[in-house]
Amino acid sequence: MSSVAAQQRRRAAAPAQAPASADTPGLSRKHREWLAAGLFLAPDVLGLLVFVAIPMVLSIALSFFQVSGFGSYQWIGLGNYQRMMHDPLFWDSMKITGEYVVILVPVLFCVSLGLGLLVKQKLPGVGVYRTALFLPYVISLVVVGVLWKFLLDDQTGAVNRAMRAAGFDGESWLGSPSLALGCVIAIMVWVMMGYYMIIFLAGLQEIPREFYEAAKLDGAGPWTTFRTITWPLLRPTSFFVLLMSTVAAISGGLDLIFVLTNGGPANGTSLAIFYIYQQAFGFGEFGYASAMGSFLVLIMVVISAVIFKLTSGGRFDDGE
Amino acid sequence: MLQHGNDAGRPATTSRRRFLTAAAGTGAALASPALLTGCGTAQAKGGNLQFWNFYGPQRSPDPAINAQSKWFVDMVNAWNRTHKSQIDLVYLPQPTYLNGFKLPSAFATGEGPDIFLLSPGDFLRYYNGGVLADLTPHMDKAAIDDYGSALDSRKVDGKVYALPMEIEPLAMFYAQDVWEKAGLSEADIPTTWDQMLDIGDKLRTKTRAGLVFETQPGYYQNFTWYPWMWQGGGDVLDHQGKVVFDSPATRQALALWQDAVRHGIAPRVVPAADDVIGGFKGGNVAMWQQGIWNVSSFKAFAPKYRYGVFKLPVPSGGSYVTTLGGWSFCANAQGRNPEAAAEFCAWALGSMKDDSINRMVDWCVGAKSDVAPRASALERGAAKGGYDSEIMKKFKDEIFPGGRAEPRYPPVVYKAISDAIQGTMLAGRGVAGEAERAAQSIAAYTKSYKGASLI
Repeated sequence: MSSVAAQQRRRAAAPAQAPASADTPGLSRKHREWLAAGLFLAPDVLGLLVFVAIPMVLSIALSFFQVSGFGSYQWIGLGNYQRMMHDPLFWDSMKITGEYVVILVPVLFCVSLGLGLLVKQKLPGVGVYRTALFLPYVISLVVVGVLWKFLLDDQTGAVNRAMRAAGFDGESWLGSPSLALGCVIAIMVWVMMGYYMIIFLAGLQEIPREFYEAAKLDGAGPWTTFRTITWPLLRPTSFFVLLMSTVAAISGGLDLIFVLTNGGPANGTSLAIFYIYQQAFGFGEFGYASAMGSFLVLIMVVISAVIFKLTSGGRFDDGE
Repeated sequence: MLQHGNDAGRPATTSRRRFLTAAAGTGAALASPALLTGCGTAQAKGGNLQFWNFYGPQRSPDPAINAQSKWFVDMVNAWNRTHKSQIDLVYLPQPTYLNGFKLPSAFATGEGPDIFLLSPGDFLRYYNGGVLADLTPHMDKAAIDDYGSALDSRKVDGKVYALPMEIEPLAMFYAQDVWEKAGLSEADIPTTWDQMLDIGDKLRTKTRAGLVFETQPGYYQNFTWYPWMWQGGGDVLDHQGKVVFDSPATRQALALWQDAVRHGIAPRVVPAADDVIGGFKGGNVAMWQQGIWNVSSFKAFAPKYRYGVFKLPVPSGGSYVTTLGGWSFCANAQGRNPEAAAEFCAWALGSMKDDSINRMVDWCVGAKSDVAPRASALERGAAKGGYDSEIMKKFKDEIFPGGRAEPRYPPVVYKAISDAIQGTMLAGRGVAGEAERAAQSIAAYTKSYKGASLI
């Protein structure tokens, strides 16, 4: 039975292959397609290999060495990983990173989705709003940091001035361990919401208008329409935003932390990525930093896998 | 038909896949040391020597910065006119130089600059890494004597590895108008910690900090905190190298900063986003612990602004100490031409020739406002009128003489102290617990430490 099916498949494939073989006797059509695909992919593959894969492999290799930062390398096996396991500052930074990600990602998701829904409306001057909301994303994080440092200044910052004008006492936004991380999260939401808003907007515009018209005819209200049409059909977009914002939260924000708080107050904003950078480039502990970096990548891979599993990779058909 | 054992008698040829795998593996193995260490050392490269610094060449709206840049450019041009080994100045913005990855990456890959600027806090890391060239053979004994104790933290086993270009003492800057409006006079200048806190409390408002200590974690914050510990007789390590950090003097210094913040006298974040001149001019600061380098900034940006300086107050029963900071010239022992680089450092700052001494005078009282680290340069600077102004005279005659050089503790020690300062000052943790934890951390590190003396 299966051999009959195989013969049918071969017969079906034969007419397509025959003319190609006739055109170029040395290269079948299939091979030419492979060649074309390879040539198109080569620049990307080469770039990824040189700038991502090889550095990653070397970074993992480096994690098994004690590195002086001045060209001396001493093999210490799992020594850096053992040190990492007993380093309370690293685990504090992981805890802070956990809090940061758990708050930032859902807030960013909701705000971006809300803005996406808002700017999809046919409002006068909506293009201006879209541009204005996207603008923070194109500004350098260093500039963003300096800007917010002034805005959140204890004595002269606009935020505290506004609070005092409203009859409240000002706060030390960046000087209080209980507030500083919240400020960093709020600023990151402000920076990144425009980007994810555009992603959501693209996803929303992909949903056929007929679905909404049918829902309207059926008498569905805005919430029912969102719950039964928008939300399910945004699944691939939501998956993308969730995955990308999680990875960005774990691995990004370094410039902002440097300018705003330098990891303070009292290590309150010392995210894992900041601590790793500090160990590598501040203290010359490249081997130890590589071990922590490799561990962080592993965490990201696990989290990405969990997101893939829980959302079926953003597919509508649960993996079919 | 494929049968088990059919290929047992095949000749031992290598398949294409196996060959490619083996070739890739061999290539990676051969290339990995080069990839991990960079593609070669600077010594193999030849070419002009590179002098990395954060002063010049650059153009700035700040005339003081332009003058500093010109000093560097003129110095290198003078060397290039008279020496075969040519030097290129490479400017890195200060934040990049201090916190960026360019300098550490360059050294890690064997591409470090031939000549560079180094702070005391980084001295041991670079020395222990084997990249500091011995400058002693290129210096006269008279020049070494002329430097005196200013070289102590840059020496190992009697050899000089860095030449200071400046000495930068810390003092308390205050706003004279604010002072006078509060009915205070020069007679009220605080000499004790309690008086300082009282006056800070009196001068503070909702938009003005009474007293400012550095708040951001970093080498600089530690640098500004050390004198408060030293004044009570405390230290990190004693003369034998034993850890003595957990002491009443340390706890007292930690408590000082904690109390100042807890009572709202000192802010949790430095005012005006750390713009000292802007903070004073804007009326947001009454007193701020700062360094001598701000004198030239005031001169450039706020020449008419009325401010004063005074020695850091002392605790009850304590004695006056301040920290002396400042950067040094260093030569890379693994650079293109370590001999020429070391010779340049000695020629620029460490010779008994007039040019060398005058160059330091120009830097310390012309381009910048600093105390000259060499006795001869300090004398000439004074003769030139560089310390005639009331502020500079006070720095030279009152503030500097009680100074102690910034320690050269390695990163682990710095971090332990920094965490104690931050934990007590901004997180309100107990001073005893934080001092004890830091002392334990430093003791654990010093047990396994291998390298030049930490003191």
